[in-house]
Amino acid sequence: MSWASAIIDGLTREWGVDHPLVLGLLALALLPLLGSVFRRGPVPAVALVPTDPLSRILSAVLCLAGIAAIAALVLGLAGLHRREQSVEREGTGAHLVLLLDRSSSMDNNFADRAPTGDQESKSAAAKRLLAQFVARRPHDRIAVAAFSTSPMPVLPLTDHHEVVDAAIDAIDRPGLAFTDVGRGLALAFSSFAGDTAEASRAVLLVSDGAALIDRRVQEALRDAAARTPVHLYWLFLRSRGARGIFDVPPPGEDTPQANPERHLHLFLQSLRLPYRAFEATSPQAVAEAIAEIDRQETRPIRYLERIPRQDLAGPAFALAGILVAMLLGAKLAERRLAPASAARVAIPTDMRRAA
Amino acid sequence: MTAPQDGTDERRPIPYRLRWRPEGIFPGAHPGHGEGTEGEFRRHVPLLRQPDPRRIDLRVSLRDPHGELHVRQFAPRRSVPVVALVDLSGSMRFGEAVAGRVADLCALAALSAVRSGDSFALYGADVHLREDVTIPLARRRGLEEEVRERLLAARPGGSGTDGLVEAAERLPSRRSLVFLVSDFLMPSAHIERLLDALWRHDVVPVVVRDSAAEERLPRWGLMEIGDLETGATRLVFLRPSLRARWRREAEARRQALTATFTRRGLRAVELKDALDTDALARRLMEG
Repeated sequence: MSWASAIIDGLTREWGVDHPLVLGLLALALLPLLGSVFRRGPVPAVALVPTDPLSRILSAVLCLAGIAAIAALVLGLAGLHRREQSVEREGTGAHLVLLLDRSSSMDNNFADRAPTGDQESKSAAAKRLLAQFVARRPHDRIAVAAFSTSPMPVLPLTDHHEVVDAAIDAIDRPGLAFTDVGRGLALAFSSFAGDTAEASRAVLLVSDGAALIDRRVQEALRDAAARTPVHLYWLFLRSRGARGIFDVPPPGEDTPQANPERHLHLFLQSLRLPYRAFEATSPQAVAEAIAEIDRQETRPIRYLERIPRQDLAGPAFALAGILVAMLLGAKLAERRLAPASAARVAIPTDMRRAA
Repeated sequence: MTAPQDGTDERRPIPYRLRWRPEGIFPGAHPGHGEGTEGEFRRHVPLLRQPDPRRIDLRVSLRDPHGELHVRQFAPRRSVPVVALVDLSGSMRFGEAVAGRVADLCALAALSAVRSGDSFALYGADVHLREDVTIPLARRRGLEEEVRERLLAARPGGSGTDGLVEAAERLPSRRSLVFLVSDFLMPSAHIERLLDALWRHDVVPVVVRDSAAEERLPRWGLMEIGDLETGATRLVFLRPSLRARWRREAEARRQALTATFTRRGLRAVELKDALDTDALARRLMEG
């Protein structure tokens, strides 16, 4: 009986009804087997009627239509629906953590001033480009984290791109004071902690500056990097006048305190992760950098697609309606044999005799 | 012939003639076997062969060159038993055939038989002989009303005609005129068996048919039909091609039935839709 229970289990996992008791009425679906919509007309012998396969097929079709109509009505009344499903699909994409700098300098434009007129602040540019980036990658699972004085988890890894869009939409809110990249990175790494999928993982750090990373945090990051192999991208929104991350300063000035960005770059390189840094000095450069990341992160990914509950009562009623209309048409096409003698058509004889 | 109550002129007996000479002793209207002293003139015989001087035919005797005396010889008029053997199986219920035209026919036959001095018997049968639709040989007045009442009250039912064979055994042992009223919608073996059982008698098969089931069919439409005997139902999708096939098969069946009767020298009477008294009279006068 295991197969029977397996079938029932399979049925109830995918399909459901709102009012199971109404299903008892399904017994009524057997009624068309007992009678038909037609009035039975007498005939002296069935042998009088030529055998006709088409009639037989039609008879079976009408019987089945009756059964199906009643069954569809009952299922519709019972509220048949398909349960919420999640289907595993294959696509290209990645598990991505957007780590966004929320320090107040992000609210300035690339000239490091408060944006005026048609100028775009760094956060606004990042928001616009990231939103496009996310929109181009429908199959990614994306987490959003922000950091300023302290790291802020915004979203865990999720498929729901509306939420991601909303989170990205919020990054041009006025920011806070400081920039704590280290703990932000630690938070980003920890986002992958529960993620066991084989997808490509990437952390996209968007910031316009850096700060010293505490030595203890550095150790923790090295640990996390060893545990969770990720691709690391740093999109450095470089303001005019700020030092570049690739510039080698004159000896003596090359200290983490003087050049925190360059030393963050060096630290990230030392994590032995696939790492790339993009130095963007304008919105166009940011767009190019994001396009490059988009190209890089295209490994196949398995993702779950959610299919919401489908209410099937309407289609069931529609089907029942069609079938009932069919039966009605058949009923309207009904004809009967009219025995002449029942009507006593004896007049010709009488008239002849009278004449 | 319609119901008798709607006209005074309705009860008009029809004559019938036999192709054979009935035996028996009861006086009647049909020229019978043997030689009688009155009745239908048959021939002249010499006086020596029939010494009956009262019937000497003088004119013929004088005309005879040998001078021999001729005596007129007559066939005696005898009565013949007339029997209606009515199939009361379920198929006869179609179109109220039994209460309608079959009752008309049997009443007419009873009336005609009684009027011409013959006796009449009615046997109804389905699977068995139906005693409630059975009237033994009689020649009393008003027999036709009795016959009609019995047949109007009879509810045809049952799925078989074996009772007809049973009834055939109850028929008089001398040759009778038998109206075998049935729709003959039975296997041909049954028909053969029934006709075998009636070998002694002059059988007039009366084939009850209804044009509604054979010719006047709708051109298009759906029809659910139920067999009146077996109760089997079928849905029929009528269309011109099927209608043509249906009619062809009905025609073929009719011809096969006619062939069966012809092999035994019988000629059937069709009782279709309504009793045509004139056609019946013509057919019976032809003998």
